[in-house]
Amino acid sequence: MHPVDTMGQTREGAEYGFAFLDEDAKRELRRSIFKAVCIPGHQVPYASREMPIARGFGTGGMQLTLALLGPDDACKVIDQGADDSVNAANIRNFFALTCPGVTGTLRTEEASVIQTRHRIPELPLRADQILVFQVPYPDPLVVVEPNAAKRRRMHGRADYARLWVKLYEDMVAFDEITISHRYPTRINGHYIIDPSPIPRFDVPKLHQADCLYLFGAGREKRIYAVPPHTDAVPITFNDVTFAVENFRDKATGKRHCCRRCGADDSFLDEFLDDDGARVFQCSDAAYCDMRLERLEAAE
Amino acid sequence: MSVLDLPRLWRPATHQALFRRILDVAARPGQIADLGDLLDGRPAALAALATFCDNTQTLADLTGTLSATDFAFLDVGKATVDKAGFILSVGTAAPDFTPRLGTLDTPEDGATLVIMVDSLTEGAALTLTGPGINGTATLAPKGLAPDWLTARARWCADFPMGVDLVLADATRLTVIPRTTKIGA
Repeated sequence: MHPVDTMGQTREGAEYGFAFLDEDAKRELRRSIFKAVCIPGHQVPYASREMPIARGFGTGGMQLTLALLGPDDACKVIDQGADDSVNAANIRNFFALTCPGVTGTLRTEEASVIQTRHRIPELPLRADQILVFQVPYPDPLVVVEPNAAKRRRMHGRADYARLWVKLYEDMVAFDEITISHRYPTRINGHYIIDPSPIPRFDVPKLHQADCLYLFGAGREKRIYAVPPHTDAVPITFNDVTFAVENFRDKATGKRHCCRRCGADDSFLDEFLDDDGARVFQCSDAAYCDMRLERLEAAE
Repeated sequence: MSVLDLPRLWRPATHQALFRRILDVAARPGQIADLGDLLDGRPAALAALATFCDNTQTLADLTGTLSATDFAFLDVGKATVDKAGFILSVGTAAPDFTPRLGTLDTPEDGATLVIMVDSLTEGAALTLTGPGINGTATLAPKGLAPDWLTARARWCADFPMGVDLVLADATRLTVIPRTTKIGA
C-alpha cells in the first residue's frame, strides 16, 4: 500500500518507517526535548538529522514534530499564520506521507500538535496541545557575542548585561526598543530565549500558558522549551513598558479591523489591494475562517 | 523477528506513546501518567528507560533490578553512578552518592534518576511549585525515603545544574524536574 498525500494522490516510493526518522534519531530528539522541558529556556544541543528539505526551511520544527507524532494525532502546520502557504502545505503533506494515521487539520482547536513558522495562533491553546516552533536563530546573544562557547557560558551564568546595553543603545539612538520580532524573553527568571521571529503581539502568549511550547532550530542544532504555567517576560527597563503592535490608524486613532471577518483583536497583515489601497487582514487564516463561519451561522 | 514480534514494551509505537505521556507530566510536575495499557505487566520505571535509553547512553542500575534481557533490549552502556546519564534506584534505599549534575554551560548533562516507589498517591503529601505548575500541585509518593528529597535539594541547589527525577510505581510515573520546589 502506498501512502496518500493530502491532495489525495498516491505516492509510490515513499514507504518510510513511521515518521520518516529512524528510531535512534527520534529517541535522541526525545531525550533532548525532555531535558529542554526540565531546564526551561536552555538550548539543548541535538544532532539535527538531514531532512528532505534544506536546513532553514523548518527542519528543526519538523524533527520535533516527527519525534512527537503518533498515529492518533491531528497535526496542523502554519506559516505566518496561514495553512496554505508553500512551506506549511508541503510540510503538512510530508507528515501525511510519512506518518500514516495522522490527520492533517486546518482548525486550531482540532489539532493536538501544531507546527508553526513565526506566529502563535489567536485561539488560546489548551493543555492537550503542543506548539512546535521553527526557529532560524535560537540564540538571542548572537547579536552581542560571536563566540558560541562564550555565549553558552553567559547563558549558564544568566549574564545578559550586554543584551541590556544593546537595548539601552536602542533607547539612546531611537527613543524606543527597535526589536519588532524575535523579542528577547526571559524564561522562569533565568535563561533569555529568542522566541523565534514571532511578532511582539504573540510574546505575551508565552507567559503562563496552558500548552507546552517547543522550539526547534535545525540549522543551529538546538532545542528549547517553555513549559506551561511558566513565567516568560520580555526584557525591558523599569521605565520603558513592553508594547505590542496596536494597529491603530495614525489619522483616526482607531484600530484597524480585518477586512474579511472584521476582527479587532487579531494580529493583522497589512498589504495593498489591486487598487493600491492599504488593507488589513487577519494573519491567522484559521481564526479568520472560524469567525467568518460563525458570522454566517449567526445570520 | 519483525517489529510486531517484539514484546510490546520494545516496539517503536509504544515508545512514541510512552514519550508523549512522559512529556505531558514532565511539563506539568505533580500530574501522574498512567502507562498501564502499554506495559504488559512490566514496571513503569523500565518503560521510562525504554523510552530514553539506547547505545549512546549510560545507566547505573543501583539495586540490580534489571535482568540481562532488559539490558539487552535497552542496549544501554553501564556506568558508575557518578558518571551515568540514567540512574535506576528504589525509593527505600537512601542515596549515598552524587550523580552527574551537568555544568553551567551544559546543564543537560545532569542525570535523569528513575526511582521506583510503592505508590505515587498513598504517601504523605508534598507541595510542589515551579514551572509547569498552575499555583501549587501535590504529590504523595509512598516508599520514598526523606533522604532522597534532602539529597535532591542539594543536587538542584545551583540552577541550571541539577538532576531530574522520574518517580514510578508499578504502572504510573511522574516527573520532578530540577526547577520544581518541594515543600512539606
